[in-house]
Formats: sequence, C-alpha cells, structure tokens
Amino acid sequence: MSHHRDSGAGPPDEYVEAEIHRLLAEDPAVAEQGITVVRRERALVLYGEVESPHRRAEILRRVAERFPDVPITSDIGVIRAQAPTEIEQLP
Amino acid sequence: MVIRIAAVGDVHLDEDVVGRFRPALEELPDCADVLLLAGDLTRHGTESEARCVAQEFGGLGVPVVTVLGNHDHQCDQVPQVVKVLEDAGITVLEGNGVVLDCAGGRLGIAGVKGFGGGFAGRCASDFGEPEMKAFVRTTNESAESLGKALRSLDCDMLVALTHYSPVPDTLAGEPLEIYPFLGSYQLGQAIDSAPTALALHGHAHAGTERGTTPGGVRVRNVAHPVIKQAYSVFHVGDQHDSDQVSPIGRSGSQRSWS
Ligand SMILES: [Fe+2]
Ligand SMILES: [Fe+2]
Repeated sequence: MSHHRDSGAGPPDEYVEAEIHRLLAEDPAVAEQGITVVRRERALVLYGEVESPHRRAEILRRVAERFPDVPITSDIGVIRAQAPTEIEQLP
Repeated sequence: MVIRIAAVGDVHLDEDVVGRFRPALEELPDCADVLLLAGDLTRHGTESEARCVAQEFGGLGVPVVTVLGNHDHQCDQVPQVVKVLEDAGITVLEGNGVVLDCAGGRLGIAGVKGFGGGFAGRCASDFGEPEMKAFVRTTNESAESLGKALRSLDCDMLVALTHYSPVPDTLAGEPLEIYPFLGSYQLGQAIDSAPTALALHGHAHAGTERGTTPGGVRVRNVAHPVIKQAYSVFHVGDQHDSDQVSPIGRSGSQRSWS
C-alpha cells in the first residue's frame, strides 16, 4: 500500500538538477564546480564560465549523453584572459 | 615605498588552456614585481597538468609564488605537482613564507591552501563524529600555520596568500548555503594576527572582488572567473596620488576578447 509517486515522466526535476550539478563537479572529463543549473519552463539552462571552448562543448556533450531526454540549453561563457588595463592602488 | 603585485587564481590549466594567458603574462616584467597564484592551478592535480602550469607560468621574468587549491589535490599527486612547479622556478607555499627583494622593499608572502569551515556564528564546530572533528581540525591547523608563517617573516610589507577565503565579503554572489565550503573565519583571524597589508584568495568562482577582515586588512578574491582578466595588479604602499584605480602605463591597446 505504498503511495509511490510515478508520473511516468522520469525523476522529479530537482533530482535531475542535483545529478547534473554533481556530474559536472565529479566527472573527471568536466570537473567544474562553477556551473549553475537553472530550471526554466521548457528546459534546464546551464550558466557559468569555463576556461576554454573545448570545456564548454564537453559539458554539453556529457550532460546530453547522461540525460538524453532532458531538454538542455547552455549559456556558458569562456573567461577572457587579456592583460589588465587598470591597476588598483592600496594604501 | 610601493610594491607591485600581480595575482590570479583558479586558472584550472590543462592542455586546452595552455597559451591563453601567455601573451598577457609576457607583459608582467613591465608592470609587476611578483606574480602570486591563488591555487586551483590545474583541473585534477595531475603531474601532466602541472607541466601545463609550468609551461604557462614558468620563465616569466618576475618571481612566481603560489599555493595549491582543492583541485590540485584531486588526484593525490601533490608531491609530483609541487616538484614540477618548483623545477619551473615557481615557489609553492603551504604553511610557510618567502621574502622577496623588490625595488620598493622586502615583500613577505605567507601562504596556505586553507580549508572550509564557515564564518563566525555560522561555522562547523569541533564536536561530534570523528569525521566532523577531522574537518574542523583541518580548518584550525591550516589557519594556525598561516598565522605562524605571517608572524615569522622579517619584511617591509606582508601579504597573505590562500586558496580558501578568509572572509565572507568576497563570497557575495555564491549561494549562502555553500559558504562553509568556501572558507573560514579562522583564516581571517590568522591574517589579523600579523601586520598584514593585503590578503589574496581564490576558490569562490562566483564571488566578488573586494572585502576586509574584521581587523581591517584588505581582501581580494582574484579567482580568474571573478576578475575576468589574465591577472589583477595591485600597487601596495604609500601612494603619491590618491586615485583608487589608474590606467596601466602601456602603449598597445589591442586585446583579443574571446
Ligand atoms: Fe577553482
Ligand atoms: Fe577551489
């Protein structure tokens, strides 16, 4: 007589979010802790900044591979690495 | 007396990043006396990633001093990582310090990776399960070694270098729930136990740049995702003009933004 919640639509979104978050941090091919997973109406959106375009592509590839049925879009940027144009003076 | 300090943390190097920082780094001898790296030099702390760091940050024409970050511990190859860095002339600090002779005086740098633990009134305590006590013991020992190193240096200006944050100020932007994994107030206390002029840290990728310890020491989060440039430059010491921020004296202005 258990009231098992099964909508047939897979795990609740919170768990998918948590799993993606851990996948990104713990998967050696990604190892990013700074990516945020935000739930929007139609998809999960990944935000954050990485060090190379290669890493951004790898993140999307790994997440799509692990969650083929979850619609995911990304807004991940590559951090600029130009020399500074200003200094900060401290007493 | 002004000492020019360049700093960046969390560059998380691997082969795919090598060369991205180098053009900006080549300008360092013109604008800084030293480059400080605030940990998380690599993605997983492997020897081969350390070689990427050595290639990118070695032979710069200014001394390079670093602490390691949590990522540099991931593969349990710390001794190998440290050796590769030191062979490239990079000084690696962990609970100790170094004094460099700069044009503006003797710069003392004390460094430690640091650890989580949380901030005053909202922190983990040395109580309960052995795992919890081990966690807090790591926090305390790390901070104590930083304090000891800071107080031991004979120099004209003292800088503290950590990976984890000594204050909550520079974490603004991170979820409050993870502050205890981002730093500890004990690091701040250690910094305040010596006449520290500036404290630099990384680790909080979504944090903000500026903060102050309870004792009034300026704190800067120099994590690469926070500063969004190859490094920041700080002029520390007596200034002639009072502008907080001034342009770097450099002729070229073309920069690649990718
Ligand atoms: Fe990092
Ligand atoms: Fe870190």
